[in-house]
Order: sequence, then structure tokens, then C-alpha cells
Amino acid sequence: MNQATVVIIGGGATGIGILRDLSMRGVHAVLLEKGGLANGTSSRFHGLLHSGGRYAVGDNEAAKECIEENTILRRVGKECVEETEGFFVATKHDDPEYARAWVSACERAGIAAQPVPVAEALRLEPNLSPNISTVYRVPDACVDGFRLVWHNAVSARRYGGTLLTYHEATGIEQANGRVCAVLARNCQTGESLRFECSYVINAAGSWSGQIAHLAGLDVQVSPDRGTLIAFNHRFTSRVVNRLHKSADGDIFVPHGSITILGTTSSPAPSPESNRPSSAEVLRLLELGEPLFPDIRQYRILRAFAGTRPLYSAGSGAGRSASRGFHIVDHAEEGLHGMISIFGGKLTTYRLMAEKLSDLVCAQLGVSTPCRTATEPMVRPPSAETLAKATKYFPMHSTTLAAHRLGEALETVVNTMDAEPEHPILCECEMVSLAEIDYVARDPDTHSLHDVRLRTRMGMGTCQGTFCSLRAIGALTERNVPLNLSPTEDVAQFLQERWKGVRPALWGTQMKEIMLGRAIYAASLNLDGAIHEQQ
Amino acid sequence: MAKIHYNPDACIACNTCVAQCPVAAVNADFPGPRITGPASQRFRIMGNIDEETLHFCANCKNCDISCPHNVPISAFNMIARAEFTKKNPFSLRDWMLSHGALLGRKLGLVPAWLRNVGMLNPLTRRLLDMLGISASAPLPQFAAQTFKQRMRTYPQPASQRKVALFPGCYIDLYDPQTGLDLVWLLNKAGYEVIVPNNFDCCGLPMVANGFMEDARANARSNWAELSSWCAKGIPVLTACPSCNLMFNRDLAEYFPEIATGTAALRDAQEFVLECVERGELALPAPDPQAQPMLYHAPCHLRAQGLGLPGLSLLQAVFGKAVRNADAGCCGISGSYGFKKENYGIAQSIGQPLFETITKSGVALTTSECGTCRVQIMHGTGKPCLHPLSLVRRRLELQH
Repeated sequence: MNQATVVIIGGGATGIGILRDLSMRGVHAVLLEKGGLANGTSSRFHGLLHSGGRYAVGDNEAAKECIEENTILRRVGKECVEETEGFFVATKHDDPEYARAWVSACERAGIAAQPVPVAEALRLEPNLSPNISTVYRVPDACVDGFRLVWHNAVSARRYGGTLLTYHEATGIEQANGRVCAVLARNCQTGESLRFECSYVINAAGSWSGQIAHLAGLDVQVSPDRGTLIAFNHRFTSRVVNRLHKSADGDIFVPHGSITILGTTSSPAPSPESNRPSSAEVLRLLELGEPLFPDIRQYRILRAFAGTRPLYSAGSGAGRSASRGFHIVDHAEEGLHGMISIFGGKLTTYRLMAEKLSDLVCAQLGVSTPCRTATEPMVRPPSAETLAKATKYFPMHSTTLAAHRLGEALETVVNTMDAEPEHPILCECEMVSLAEIDYVARDPDTHSLHDVRLRTRMGMGTCQGTFCSLRAIGALTERNVPLNLSPTEDVAQFLQERWKGVRPALWGTQMKEIMLGRAIYAASLNLDGAIHEQQ
Repeated sequence: MAKIHYNPDACIACNTCVAQCPVAAVNADFPGPRITGPASQRFRIMGNIDEETLHFCANCKNCDISCPHNVPISAFNMIARAEFTKKNPFSLRDWMLSHGALLGRKLGLVPAWLRNVGMLNPLTRRLLDMLGISASAPLPQFAAQTFKQRMRTYPQPASQRKVALFPGCYIDLYDPQTGLDLVWLLNKAGYEVIVPNNFDCCGLPMVANGFMEDARANARSNWAELSSWCAKGIPVLTACPSCNLMFNRDLAEYFPEIATGTAALRDAQEFVLECVERGELALPAPDPQAQPMLYHAPCHLRAQGLGLPGLSLLQAVFGKAVRNADAGCCGISGSYGFKKENYGIAQSIGQPLFETITKSGVALTTSECGTCRVQIMHGTGKPCLHPLSLVRRRLELQH
């Protein structure tokens, strides 16, 4: 028998944010996620920590929320944020009227937008088109959505929160107009579980319609599909937005070693609708070209798609739907203890968690105030650990690893201390064996796929061609328990990588993947090896 | 185009360069050209610059030679090294090793014997060792007179057919005889040789030691001078593979704004072969009595993709007596192997070549590159001469 005061459904930024907030206030909470952490929209977006500039004209309230949360996250989540700043850039074809309206809207929302002379903008970002006419600087930044979710999770655990990945909610029990339990299935063992609780928080994002349905409720969430392209290198060091009425393909975000261009917007048939198409890739390139004229010469690593959980009650859909968030206490519909949270953006996840936790705490009579706006998420590693780390981590990756690992860096460095060699297994993203070993041993890691999400292994140039074999070999040799057999794990890992590569399979990336195919399908006969095992 | 040129997109991580890297083969601390080059480039663009293992790169160009996708791997490394040099304390040792021409000019008034005593005596070598130039390294000796000085009084038959010569620092300062041997051959082919005053060091050692801006200044004046001779229809030759590589490949890579137009430096060995083909220079039949010798192809020659014209020339006059050692890099890579921290690496890299030479039992070796020759003599104790010097000897013997 499992018991908790609150069961949260959904392991994206919102759900984990709520888990951390409630746990910090001493409320006993359990989170159920049917996949891995952040496997939904929180890891399937452009990685932009909005200044609010994008929403200033259309939704000034959402813009205000963005700039406030942007400022808070830079402080409490600095390990997840790269303070790149952003440009809003108009081309000679864009309406100058819009730029004027945008400047005053930014002022209303409290977003510092400073004009930058075109020559200066081109000096700072030499790959920008010389045909631009107007540039403004805003406090946009980049955020690693997965890392953000993970650091929230580590912090929540520290405060006693429980997190169960690969646990799918299958039913919500109610008695006398109150929720009383959540039924769940362990997706890996098939085991059924029951969690007694007083509150159920539906934070399932694009899936929240399905969760509400478990309780016999109907909510108006329509998943809206967005496709993005990841390029092999960083051709802009700032976020670049096109200064026009928000549209498709007008945001470029430097994300670690890569650049992301997004997005599209179209109604999604289902929240799982995340297979991008070549047509979408080609369209994004065409839309991105006016800002970065050499865009077709940059190598595309992959494309990916996610679904925005747009709340469609009342207002419009797609781009005109509100990016603000909505909390619905289903008590109004006769079911007490069931609360859903919809809409919003990753940038405002903390605020969403705060407002929702306030509501739950008020009902529970808990008066502890929210501390997520002031207490840093990560306990930074000590100066000694950092100094020691530079001995073992290659070149530039010490800071990156420290930001990924937080206080766990110490454990990883101590492992390195004890070992004679410190190989880098993922050379594209510079990930060491010690870090991969540490992450692979975490109870929430079940496969190479989970290792990838936390370390960035396999997310660079070769898209897993070299690191997957190296990693599975090293982990097997070191007796690290994973769920699948080594061959199945590698096959699944590569399939997932290839899924994103397929829609943009041309140019250099085609050569890359042919090399991967030659290694795995021809030389290693991976498919055959799986058959032999069966 | 330059901004696209320096992006790491063409690399598919195949690691062929790592398999072919002479440094990575002998030094486990060097992660290899793929990591320090295109892979790290993705992180350098993020603003993370760190030199930790980059200094191991010898700029020998074997990565560029082996890359199936034309990734400018060594250029990534050299540009990163230049950025590092800009941001870090100045290394007197690296400056000295890369500004030999300037030092040579400054020391020009001091007699060569005194310079050599000054530079090569045990006390100075200890001092140099403290500066980071290995006391064991085979530093070349200054010649009594530079090549340029000797050419001022060198008698040449006047001719309407003229070529200009870019001697390069090595021939000018340390090895004028090789330059004179080339002049002798060209005279024999009916050319009058001009040695322009305005050529300076090609700049390759500056690039290799991180002084990109000094290299740019030299490139600018050298390219203007080269272009003026080419415009007059006078070919400009060099007997040094590294100078040739710098002019014909590296300048366009590092300074595309300078290396414009159709000007080109010519490989002197290739030019002499063409003289033979045109019937301007008659070669004797291969000498059946010739003593066996091994030829070493310098990496910077192989990087140009011109074939091995020096070896072809040697085979034309010595026949089967001369064979290609084909035993990889000698390890020295210009000033790389003189550096204290690299001396051991350079010797390990050269080991297969040294063994090939020693086991073959030859008494004589040959190579176009000055520092390769110094390294081969140091590693094997056998003499190593420029192919042009051997060709001249053979022609002189015949007469």
C-alpha cells in the first residue's frame, strides 16, 4: 500500500516543479511519469528562456510573466541557463509599424529592449543576413529543459519527494465526491500499484485530456504540434527572433554546441504526434533563410517535434491561443481534490508550480510560503571538487559537466580519482566514462536513452554512431545494470537517433548515417545479433 | 565564404585522422586531431577555449592528408592555438623558434662562427633548455654566409629565360649549399636565377607557434612580391616543401583575403623535372653503380598532393638505387621536435623511419625538408642531403 498526500501525474517541468515546491513546503508528494523524465514537451522545444519579447504585442500579460520568471530562473537555476541575450531582428521586408508597436509593448511589459546598430549586430553575429534593417537586444536566454527538470527532481528528492518514472497512471478512484487513490502500472515490470491520496494533480501537459478522462472529466486541451531543426554547430551565439508578428520558423536558439531553429504550429492528432517530416524541415529552412542566408549550407543533425499543451477553452487555437496558464480546480465540477494545470510555457513553469502549490497548500492548511523563487535548485560543487575536475575532464567540458551534475560532480570526480584512465566515450559532446557510469547507475536510469538525456551522450555530430557502442561496452564490462540486453539497448538507442535524422537525411549527415549503418548493420550485424539472442 | 569555411560541419567523426596522426600514435595524452580540431571547434564557438592538449599538435598535416571529407583539421588547431597565444602570457621560446628570419637578420652582423659558438655551446644550450628548447634537440648551425649573401657574388651566365627563387629561411640561414645546387641546375638548364630581396619568412613557423598576426603581415608582403613576379611571367620556385605548402595551400585557408589571384609558388624539384621533359636539361642514364639510398617524403610535401617530384628526379639519375623509405613522419615538424616537452614525442614518432633506415644498411639518405634532414641525421647518424644536391653531384661526376 502506497500513500501520499498528493499524487502528481506528469514528469515534465510543470509536474516536477510542483513536486519540488510541495516537497519544500513539507507536503508529502509522489510523482508518476509514464516515460522517462521530461520525455514530453519539456525536452521537445527550442530551449528558449523567453524574455517575453515574443509575446509582448499579442499577450502582454504572458510577456510580463516571462520577464519575471526569466529573471528568477537566471538566479535560482543558473546551471540550466546560458545567458546569451537575444536579438529581435527585422528584415527590409518586415513591417516597421510592427516594430514600433513591439517596442512600446516591451516597455509596458518591463522588458528592456535596446536598439542595436545594424553594423554592430553584424559584428556580433557575422552570420546574420546583411539585409537586416532593425535590431533590438532583449534579455532572452537559453535553457536546457531536460537539465532543468532533472535538477528540480534532485532537489525534490532531497526534500523527501518521490519520483517514479516509467509509471503510468491507469485510474483515478473517487469516493463521496473526493479523489481517494490513483492506480498505476509499472511499465517495466507490469506490476499494478495503488496510491492512496487526498489530491491528484493533473500536470500531464498535452496528455492532460487523457488524465482528466480517467476521472471522468473533460478538459479542453488541444495538443499543437511544433517541429524544430537541430544544426550541428552554433552559427549564432545569441537567440535570434524575427521582429514581426510571431510566425513559424522565426526563432534561432544556440543550445550548447548546436543551434535550434523552430518552430511550426499545427493541430496535432495526438499528443504522441512527434515524428517530424521532411516537408516541415524544408519549410523551416525556407522560413529561416531571410535571417541566416547560409542556412542551407549548415549541416542539420536532426529534426524533432513536440506538442504544445494549448488550453483551448474559449479563445483561439494555434498561434493565437493563449500562452498563459490555467489552473482548474475540478471541485467546481463536483470532484474535490482533483486539480488540472494547463497551458503555459517552460519559461513560466516555476510560477505555474508556485500558484498550483499555493492552492493545494491553502486547502491543506499548510502555511509554509513558496521558496522556489529564492532558493537555488542546485547545490554547486565545492571549489576543490571543481579544481580536481579540471584534471580529468577534457578541455572545455568541466563547466558543462559541473552544470549537468551539480553536487554529484564530487562523486564522479572521486570515481575518476580511483581509476587509472579517464576516457571520453562521447567525443562529440565530450562526455566522460565516469559521468556515464555515474548516471547509468542512478535508479531512474534504465537504458542508454536515459543516459543520453542526462549527459548529452549521442546528441552531437555522430548521433550515437561511436558513443553507443563504446558506452554499452564499458557499462557491460563494469556490470552496470540496465533493463535491456546490450544489443537491444544499442538498437533501440540508434533507432531513436535515426528517427530524428531521417527527415533531414541529406548532405553530410547522410554520409554520417551511412557510416553508422556500415558499422552497425553491416560490420556488427546488430539486427542479426538480436535474432541470435532470441 | 571564410565564415562557412571554419565551421566543423564536414567532419563525420570517422576518426581516420586519429588513426593517421603520428602524435596520437605515440602519445596517449593527445586525444587526436578529430577531438582537438572539428569536435572542439563546436565548443570553441560556444566561447570555451582551452589549450590543454592542443599544444601536442605538430601541424604535420597528416590529418588533412587522410581526411576523406576535406575538413581543414590542422587549420582548426592552428587558429585555436593563435587564439590561445593572444590570450595567454607570451612564450619567448615560441617567439624565438618562429621568428628565425628576423633573428637571423638581427644577428647578421655577428660572424657565423661566433653565432654558432654563442648559440650551440653547452652553456647556451643549458640556457635554451631552461627556455624550453631541448638540450638534446638537433639545432641546425648557422652558415658562414647566408644564401642571399652568397648569391650576390655568385657568377651566373646571363640568360633571357629567368626564374626567381624563394629560398626559405632554412636554405638562407643554415643550408645555402642546397640553394646553390638548385641555382647550378637551373643555370645548366639555361635559366638565370633571381633572388628577390623582398621575400620574408613564409610564416608557417609563426602559424605553428600561434603568431597568426605576424604570419598575416608576412603573407601580405610575400604575396604581393610573388604576384609581381608571376605577373611578369617569371616563375618563382622554392626547394622547401613547407614554404610551398604555406604559399599554395595554407595562405588561402588562413588569409583568403590576401591569397587572391592566380599567383603560385612552384616546387623547384617539379620545375627541374619539367626542364628535363622540355629538353632543357639532359640527365645521364641511371648509374648502375650508384650506392643505395633511402628517400624520405616530408609530410608537408605529401600534404600538397603534387606527388613526389624529388623522388622522381632522383630515380631518373640513380635508378633503383634510391627507394622511398615510406616509414611515416620523422617527428620533427619544423620547430615542434626542438621543444623540450615534444623532444621525446618527436623521437618516438621518428623511430619507425630511423629503424627502416638503419636496418636497410644504406649509407646515405635524402629528403627535401631541412628539419627532416636534421632529424634523420640525429636519429640515424647517417648523412641526409637534399635531392637537388645529389642530382647536381651526379651531373658533375658525369662531366
